[in-house]
Amino acid sequence: MNLQLLKYVIRYIERHAFKNTFLFIVLTLITWLLASIFFITNSMKYELSLGVDALPDIVLQNTKGGMRSTVDERVSEHILEIPGVKSVKGRVWGYYYFDAESLYLSLVGVDIFEPQERDSLVRLVNENEVPVNSMFVGEGVKALLARNYYSDYFNFIKSDGTKKRINIAGTFTSAISLESNEMMVMPKNELRDIFGYTEHEATDIAIDVANKTETPMLALKLQQEFPNMRVVVKDDVKVFYENIFNYKNGLFLALFTIVLFTFFVIVYDKLSAISSADKREIGILKAIGWRVEDILKAKLYEALLISFNAFLLGLVLALAFVYFFDAPIIQDIFIGYTTLKPSFELIFVLDIDTLFLLFVLIVPVYTLATLIPAWRIAIVDADEVIR
Amino acid sequence: MIELINVTKSFDAQQVLKELSLRFDEGELIVIKGKSGSGKSTLLSLIAGLAKPTSGEIIVDGKHISKLPEHFCSSYRRDNIGMIFQKYNLIETLSVKENILLPLVPLNLSEELLEKRVAEQMHTFNISHKADELIKYLSGGEQQRTAIARAHIADPKIILADEPTANLDEVLSKNFIEMLEKMKSKNKTIIVATHDPLFFELDFVDRIIDFDS
Ligand SMILES: Nc1ncnc2c1ncn2[C@@H]1O[C@H](COP(=O)(O)OP(=O)(O)OP(=O)(O)O)[C@@H](O)[C@H]1O
Ligand SMILES: [Mg+2]
Repeated sequence: MNLQLLKYVIRYIERHAFKNTFLFIVLTLITWLLASIFFITNSMKYELSLGVDALPDIVLQNTKGGMRSTVDERVSEHILEIPGVKSVKGRVWGYYYFDAESLYLSLVGVDIFEPQERDSLVRLVNENEVPVNSMFVGEGVKALLARNYYSDYFNFIKSDGTKKRINIAGTFTSAISLESNEMMVMPKNELRDIFGYTEHEATDIAIDVANKTETPMLALKLQQEFPNMRVVVKDDVKVFYENIFNYKNGLFLALFTIVLFTFFVIVYDKLSAISSADKREIGILKAIGWRVEDILKAKLYEALLISFNAFLLGLVLALAFVYFFDAPIIQDIFIGYTTLKPSFELIFVLDIDTLFLLFVLIVPVYTLATLIPAWRIAIVDADEVIR
Repeated sequence: MIELINVTKSFDAQQVLKELSLRFDEGELIVIKGKSGSGKSTLLSLIAGLAKPTSGEIIVDGKHISKLPEHFCSSYRRDNIGMIFQKYNLIETLSVKENILLPLVPLNLSEELLEKRVAEQMHTFNISHKADELIKYLSGGEQQRTAIARAHIADPKIILADEPTANLDEVLSKNFIEMLEKMKSKNKTIIVATHDPLFFELDFVDRIIDFDS
């Protein structure tokens, strides 16, 4: 490391403060945008995989006239007799349209005597008894209700048009922020009342399989047993989710392409335009005894100083933007992939490969864009440059 | 120590130097005169290794610099040549001190040694009082003394000066001649290209070469 050379480079950057500040800001913004996109997609992917993993192995849905309909949960006893079935449960769940915020909330019914497929619900049910006439809500929902002056209770409008008041007993969180945030959890029978279900009516039947490799065979058996029902296997759901995610990813890819395009336009501009003052300076340096490699070394220092610092700053900004502020604006692209979400929180997932890709995209490319034109000038006879 | 053998330099169809053979000895002060376009600057560029002759050879201290690849030319220039240009070729947005130490930057010297050598040069050429001033705020004479100090700082054996007094008034020109004498007393080989008559009368000039004849 040549300190004197570094000093010259710092003075050079100072002397071209405007141009270099501009480049620094542009590089920082580009890194920030690209890193944010990468962080969000990584986190989303992670969350979706967690969400899908939490699903039951097989879900039985009833149909009526080709539309989804409810099931009688008493079929559970019959299903449980099929060999290979580990557990069966009639689930009561659905959506509730919340007028004031124009969005859908997820309502989930629990029964403390039944196994819960979601970790968050297992914990919730084990740690707290959900009292009659009460519910637990995700933190996002809690904040949302509070905004609308419902801090202790909420008035649901039942399917017959009358109101039903449910108290808020507390909040819960789970690792799967996407789903837990928008959830309202209450005893099954309260939910049945809101939805207008009868005593044994359930939304669907969730089945867990003892040996996962037997899932397809079991699904086939169930289909034969209940020809009027739809048998939904977890793997199919997974594919569906992934397709949605890939579609969202496509939007991001478009954004990504635009950002990258901008970056390369800037790089191209830098490559093609080197000011006459810079040409003269390189010529002078050569005439007073600098070697081509000294000049290139100076340019290397310059490019690294700017691009590496911009890269680091952009990265820090992206981390703060995505994981601290939950990616305002950009998150709109993602929100509503099933319904509108009351709130949105991203789980921190750090992928070294992604960081490395980003680094390669920014720092070496910018460095080359600085070095190549300087090299082209430096190899020309200094005689011509300073004449 | 500097020898030119049958040197020809052409730009496209124009032949600027034709079959030129010259010899300069160590410690000599040579003045090259000739009208504009006669090839004085071209000759200095060739000796500095900034350009290559079309044909012929240039030998400095036994090195065939006309045949050296660019990489060695730069090293040769750094170790042997101090150039004072007609337009000074200082970097306007750097200070006097920064300009003077520029030739030493690639050598990675210690801060103290660098400071010491710059201070010496600034003192010798009477520019210490403007050390931190930017070049663009200097007078012509101050710029010139800066350029001389810069040419001198790496302690080169050969000083090449291209019309050093072209932009100076009489007093400053006389000043420059004093500097020249100072440098000659340090046994530098000095080649001055000029058409300023002031140089033709000096008693410490060893030779005058007329490019017009
Ligand atoms: N790089 C170049 N490309 C084309 N022509 C050139 C180049 N360098 C010099 N010349 C030409 O060579 C000739 C000699 O130029 P040079 O600068 O050596 O003359 P000079 O004696 O120094 O003149 P002056 O007294 O005006 O400085 C000129 O006609 C000039 O136009
Ligand atoms: Mg000239």
